[in-house]
Amino acid sequence: MTIPVIEAKNIVKSFGGVRAVDNVSVSVMPGEIHAVVGENGAGKSTLMRILAGVETPDSGSVEINGTAIENSAKASIDAGISLVHQELSLIPEMTVAENIMLGSFPTAGGWTKTREMKNIAADTLKEIGVDVDLDERISRLSVALRQFVEIARAVARKPKVLILDEPTATLTPAETDYLLDMLERLASQGLAIIYISHRIPEVFKICKAVTILRDGKLVTSESIDKLTPEKVIDQMVGRELKLDLSQRRQINDSGDVVLSAKGIKAPGVNGIDLEVKTGQIIGLGGLVGAGRTELIRAIIGADMKSAGKVTITSNGKKQVITGYLSAIRAGVAYVPEERRTDGLALGMTVAENIFLPNRKEVSPTGVMPKSKIAAFAKGLSEKVSLRPPQITREAGQYSGGNQQKIVIAKWLGRKPAFVVLDEPTRGVDVGAKAEIHKLVKQLADEGAAVLVISSDLPELLELSEIIHVVRDGQIAGTLKGVDATEKSVMSLAAGEKLVGA
Amino acid sequence: MAKETLTEAIAVAKAPEDTVAKKSSSFVAWIADKGIFVFTAILILASMTFVDGFASLQNVTDLFHRAAPIGIVALGMTFVVITGNYLDLSVVAQAAAAGVILIAVSNAYNLITAFIVAFIVAIIFGLVNGIAVGYFKANAVIVTLSTTYIGLGLLRLLSGGSQVFGPFDGPIATFGTSKLGPFPYSAVVLVVVTLILTFVLSKTNFGFMVRSFGVNERSTRLAGTNTGVIVIGAFLVTSMAAMIGGFVLAAFSNTAVSNMATGYDFQALAAIIVGGTSVFGGKGSVPRTLLGVVFVSILSNVLVLSQISYGWQQIAIGSLIVFAVTVDALGRRVGKK
Repeated sequence: MTIPVIEAKNIVKSFGGVRAVDNVSVSVMPGEIHAVVGENGAGKSTLMRILAGVETPDSGSVEINGTAIENSAKASIDAGISLVHQELSLIPEMTVAENIMLGSFPTAGGWTKTREMKNIAADTLKEIGVDVDLDERISRLSVALRQFVEIARAVARKPKVLILDEPTATLTPAETDYLLDMLERLASQGLAIIYISHRIPEVFKICKAVTILRDGKLVTSESIDKLTPEKVIDQMVGRELKLDLSQRRQINDSGDVVLSAKGIKAPGVNGIDLEVKTGQIIGLGGLVGAGRTELIRAIIGADMKSAGKVTITSNGKKQVITGYLSAIRAGVAYVPEERRTDGLALGMTVAENIFLPNRKEVSPTGVMPKSKIAAFAKGLSEKVSLRPPQITREAGQYSGGNQQKIVIAKWLGRKPAFVVLDEPTRGVDVGAKAEIHKLVKQLADEGAAVLVISSDLPELLELSEIIHVVRDGQIAGTLKGVDATEKSVMSLAAGEKLVGA
Repeated sequence: MAKETLTEAIAVAKAPEDTVAKKSSSFVAWIADKGIFVFTAILILASMTFVDGFASLQNVTDLFHRAAPIGIVALGMTFVVITGNYLDLSVVAQAAAAGVILIAVSNAYNLITAFIVAFIVAIIFGLVNGIAVGYFKANAVIVTLSTTYIGLGLLRLLSGGSQVFGPFDGPIATFGTSKLGPFPYSAVVLVVVTLILTFVLSKTNFGFMVRSFGVNERSTRLAGTNTGVIVIGAFLVTSMAAMIGGFVLAAFSNTAVSNMATGYDFQALAAIIVGGTSVFGGKGSVPRTLLGVVFVSILSNVLVLSQISYGWQQIAIGSLIVFAVTVDALGRRVGKK
C-alpha cells in the first residue's frame, strides 16, 4: 500500500486561551484532491499555515512521505509543500514571469538568468493551461487571472503537495469550472491537493476525501463516497440542538422605516437593497468575504459606493446619506469589525474614547468641561456595565469584551437611530457576550433600527428577527421565523441548493 | 480559520510576549517618557557646576532671548508632529516670509498692514500644507519640502533676495531690545505662546481631536470627525507660530532676509523630539516641547561658553536626535499593548 504523501499528526495550536486547532490529524495520498471544510473560524487556515511552516504548532508533527519535517517556511517549501494564499500575494508592479519565479529566480553569479526564468514560467503556465503574456504586469490582469498566476507560482516549484485556500472565492462560475478541471488534471499526474472551500458543490465535484473541522476539532476525515452534501453541512455546523423558538425575537414589522438602501454597489457588493425599521434587529449572515462588511460600509459611507441610494429617517426627518459624516449626523452608530484598530483609540482613556463622538453635545463651547465629561463617561460605562468602570484607564488595558462595551457606550450617548454592529462579540468571553446581546436587544426595544453582521450562527439566530444571507455580494436569501436555522443559513451561505428549510 | 479571527487571535496571543518584553526593557520606555526631565535637570546642574558664566542672570535671560524664535516655531509644530505627520519643513520659509514682510511692508506702508499681510501669508501656507496632507493624504515631508521651495522662491523674487532693514527707532527695533523686568519681550512671547497652545492642545475639542487623530486615525474618523479639518487645523497652528517666530527673529536685529530661518525645520523637530513628543503621533504635549527647547538651548549655550567649535555643536545636536528618536521607537515598541 502506498503511504500518504503528507501526513499531519495530532496538531495543536492555541492563540491566547483559544484552541484554534485541537489535536487534528490529516493525511493525503498522492493524486488525491482532499477537501478541508468547516465554518468560519473552524481552524482550516491555521492548519494550512502550520503545514506550510508559516505558523508553529504547540505540538504535533508534519510528515512528508513518512519523514517528519522541521517547522519552517523554508523546510516546508524544500519538502514540496506549496500554499496558495487566500489573499493574493503577488507584486502588482512586477511581470507575470517575475511573479511566478519570485523567490526562486534562477541566478548565475548574482545575475538573474532572465531567459531561463521566462522559460520556466512559460512551461508552468502551459502545464496548468493558462494563456497569459509573460511580460504583462500583474496590475493589468483581472482578479481571476491573478489567481491563476498565483497557482502557477506554486506549481512552478514542482510541489508534491499543493494547498489552495478558497481559490474560487473571487472567481465566476466559468472560471471556477476551469480551475476545477485544472486541479483534476494536476492530480491525475500524481500531485496531492488540499482544497479548502466553503462551496460544497465544488467539493463534491472534484474531491476524493473530505476532512471536516469544527471549533478547531476534527469531526471526520473520510472518503467522499460515504458523505452527502447535507451530511457535510450538518457536521460542519454540528450543533443539532434546535434553538428554543420562544427565545427568538418576534418579528416586529410595525415600525417606521429608518434605513432604506437601494441598489447598493461597491467593490464586493453587487446591487443590494436593504430596509431596517425602528425596533427591528436585522441580521446579515454569510461567509467571510461574502461582502457583508463591504455592504454596510458602503451604506453608511465609511467606504465609497459606486451606485445606490441610502436614506436614513430619524426624528421624522429623512436624510440622504452622501458620506460617513452625513451618516453620523443622521444618527448612525457604527460598531466596526476591528475594534482594536477601528473601534477604539486603545492608547486613550475610556472617558476620552467616549467623549470623542459626543464632543458637540458634552462640550458645546469647544472648551472641554472636565467634570462634565467625567460624569458623562461614567454614566455610560455603568450603563454598559464596564468592569471595572474606571474611566481614566486606557481602553487598551481592558479585555476584548469590555473594549466592545466601550465602543457601544460611546455611541449610546448619541441615542442613535440606526445602529450597525459588525461581528459584535468576536473574541469576547461568554459573560460579556451575553451582556452585549442584552444591550443590542435593549437598543432595538428603545426604538433604534439595528443591523447585525455575525458569523456566529447561534448569535445571529438569537439576535435577529430577519436574516438576510449574503453570498458573492448579493442577498442569496432571506430567512425568518422557523425557516431560520443554522443549517438553512449555512446552506444559503455556502451556495448549497439541496437543503430547503 | 478565518483571516479576521486569526488577526484577533494573534493580537491576543501576543499580549503575554509583550509583557515579558516590557519587563526587560521597561527602562527604555521610561527614558522615552520621563527622560527629558532627568536629563534637563542633570544638564542644568552640571552646567551650573562646571561652566563658568552659565549661572548668571545675564546668561539665562540671553539664553531665553535667543531660544525664543525657534522655540515659538517648535511649539506650534508640535501640533503637526502629534497628528503623526512627522513635521512641517516649510517653517523655514514661513518664518522668513513673516520676518521679511514685517520689516519690508512696515517700511513701505505701516506696521498694521505688515501684520495683516503676514497673517494672510501664514493662513495660505497652513491651508496649502494642510489640504494637501489632510485631504489628499500626500506625504507631509514631501509637501512641506516643496512648499518651502515655493515660499523661498517667491520671497526671493519679491524681496530681490536682499536683506531688509527697519528704522533704528521704529517699534520693531524697540520691541527687539526691550525687557519686562529682567525678561526680554521675546521670552515673554515664548511663555505666552506656550500657555495659549498648551490650553488649545489639552483643553479644547480641537486639541483633543488632534491627539485622538494622532493615537488612532481610523477610529477617530469612524467616531464621526472630519479628519481633514483636524490636519488642516494642526498645520494652521504651526503657521501661526512660525509667523510669530519670524516676527520675533526679525525684531532681534531689526533686519530680515529670505534665508534667516535656515535650519529651523530641524532645530524645531529636535526640540519636539527631545521633549518626548513621539514622531509616531498621539503622544506629546506643548510644555514638553518648551522643555525640549530649553534643553537644546542650554546644550548649545554650554558648548558655546566652553568654546567648542560649531562643527561639534552640530554633531552633538545630531547625535541627540538619533538617540531621542531611537528611544522613542524602542519605547513605543515595548510600551505597546
